Amino acid sequence: MWLVFLKELKELLRDRKTLFFMIALPVALFPLIIGIASYIGVQAVKDVQSRTLSFAVIGAEFSPNLLQKLTDVEQFELVSLPDDIVDDEAIKAYIKAGNLDFVVAVPNNYSNDVLTVGQVALRVFLNDAGLNMVNQRLTDIVDEIAKANQDVAFAGLQLNSTQQKGLLEPIVIETVNVADNRENWGEKIGGFFPYIIFILCLQGAMLPATDLGAGEKERGTLETLLISPIERYKLVMGKFFTIAFAGVTSALITVVSIAVWGLILSQGMAIEVVTDFMASIGVIDFVLIFLMLVPVVAMFASVLLSLSIYARSFKEAQGYMTPIVLVVIVPVLIAMMPGIELKGIWAWIPLTNVALAIKELIKGTMDYMQLFAIFASTAIIAGALISFCIYWFKQEKVLFR
Amino acid sequence: MIEIDRLMKKFKVDNPKKLSQQDKKDPRLQGRFFHSVRDVTFSCERGEVLGLLGPNGAGKTTTLRMLSTALTPDSGSIKINGIDIVSDPLLARKSIGFLSGATGLYGRLTGRENIAYFGQLNGMADADIKKRIDTLSERLDMQSFLDRRSETYSTGMKQKASIARAVVHSPKVVILDEPTTGLDIMATQTVLDFIRDLKAQQIPVIFSTHHLDEVSELCDSVTVIDQGETRFSGSYDTFANLATGEAAGSLHAAFMQTINPTNDARA
Repeated sequence: MWLVFLKELKELLRDRKTLFFMIALPVALFPLIIGIASYIGVQAVKDVQSRTLSFAVIGAEFSPNLLQKLTDVEQFELVSLPDDIVDDEAIKAYIKAGNLDFVVAVPNNYSNDVLTVGQVALRVFLNDAGLNMVNQRLTDIVDEIAKANQDVAFAGLQLNSTQQKGLLEPIVIETVNVADNRENWGEKIGGFFPYIIFILCLQGAMLPATDLGAGEKERGTLETLLISPIERYKLVMGKFFTIAFAGVTSALITVVSIAVWGLILSQGMAIEVVTDFMASIGVIDFVLIFLMLVPVVAMFASVLLSLSIYARSFKEAQGYMTPIVLVVIVPVLIAMMPGIELKGIWAWIPLTNVALAIKELIKGTMDYMQLFAIFASTAIIAGALISFCIYWFKQEKVLFR
Repeated sequence: MIEIDRLMKKFKVDNPKKLSQQDKKDPRLQGRFFHSVRDVTFSCERGEVLGLLGPNGAGKTTTLRMLSTALTPDSGSIKINGIDIVSDPLLARKSIGFLSGATGLYGRLTGRENIAYFGQLNGMADADIKKRIDTLSERLDMQSFLDRRSETYSTGMKQKASIARAVVHSPKVVILDEPTTGLDIMATQTVLDFIRDLKAQQIPVIFSTHHLDEVSELCDSVTVIDQGETRFSGSYDTFANLATGEAAGSLHAAFMQTINPTNDARA
């Protein structure tokens, strides 16, 4: 059996195509793509922030103070509106035509005396479809003035700071989250983790599986292999372990690569949060997560191998395998949905229960007895699928189609 | 020696309605089953080369696949040196060397690794494998390319490596399914030399072919199969003398005679 395993592994490692998909892609290409994408994103935001925006003010005479503050901003450039632009429609058209970036309309009741005029509404005309950050910068300026006005009004009313606070926000809601940091984060990312791992394992196992089953048929090596004096189950197990090994390896490589690159790219930004979170999970739970993955990978490997050996050619095998991705994604997606817990019916659906169990393990709220039951049931399914695969490998109608 | 007695094999037809008109006329189709091999009997003595002849679809490949234990016969017996291989295929596989025209190599392994892999599958020790590969590579003249990846081989090199792979475990019987189909003249010659070599070593060889010149060159006995049944089984001389009249001595006429005994030999 190990003879077959070693030979298949050797062959796999010499295949540039497989190596590329299993190692080069996750280690170098994915992070590169993500890195470039985020760099471009950051650069775009920077560009917008440093760009000078032209603006006009209608009714500037009502608020010299506001006008002064706006002109003081380095990247704001005051321009005057042509005389014929008076109504809203004209302003809209003028902005749309790209003549300036935004127009602030000050109402004629504008005043700094809050107690007399009440609330003042400033109208800002802008094209908000693009990224321009006008709102954010305007709010900063307006808030400053509003705060000053507020203070003057409070002083006029002779309110102390406690009364001021109460007046501004009479009742506040304070939430006390009983979930600790781990449970909180676990709920948020715990569903995502099994999803990524499952898909990666499946993808990583697919290519070698095609090669080891349909590939043998296509190259004409299968018949010779079948009539060599090795028991059929050993042959199947050798191939099975190769596929499972490839799946796990490619998933691990990808996860490690994402983690390493994530740390490098974030440059220590959120490292503390991540390490704290990781440390809180604990070694035993990590081992348990890994153990839960074992029967899942075994399920994938045996199904893929069965499909592959049934197919007459590479192309046919790939055709059969594509729907498998869907079959796997759906139960795992269910586990990602908020509110779905490891209870009732969900504990009995294969893959969904494993995904949920991994989520619970990450959150640290796993019932270990239940974990054992899920592991056992998944292992039984995996065992049945492996036996089917061995049976399948003995069928003449499968081998000589 | 190897004895085959009243071999039978049927395949299930998934959808008989989908078969072509010609397939439906085949008397071997009965209900949901296609009786590919109905009654095949022949034997091959020590040091003898047996040529298996028959039209396409006659059941040659199925018969040889049963001999190689890849398929299990529905009834009948196959005995190698008196041992029934149907009941113990694992043991039989150690004494059979099998090669077909469609046999491939693992392209990403070198020729040596390909051969060694099958040696290992046959339970040979590494030292024995090395010794055996050295002997075979000298005999087949393949030292120059043995350690290159087999995907870079020419057809002739591939065939040499396949031959070495098929006999690495020193089989007691060698079975060849159309070993020369699709090969060029040089590669064909390699195969024919190899058969001659086996014969010199007293190893019985059974091979199927469509080339009658190969039969006249190598075979001691001939078996003709048509529609899953043995139509002729006997020595080469008997076979060659089947044709009479103007076509006397023509293997082609003899072959036609066995398939259509009622017609004139020249038809």
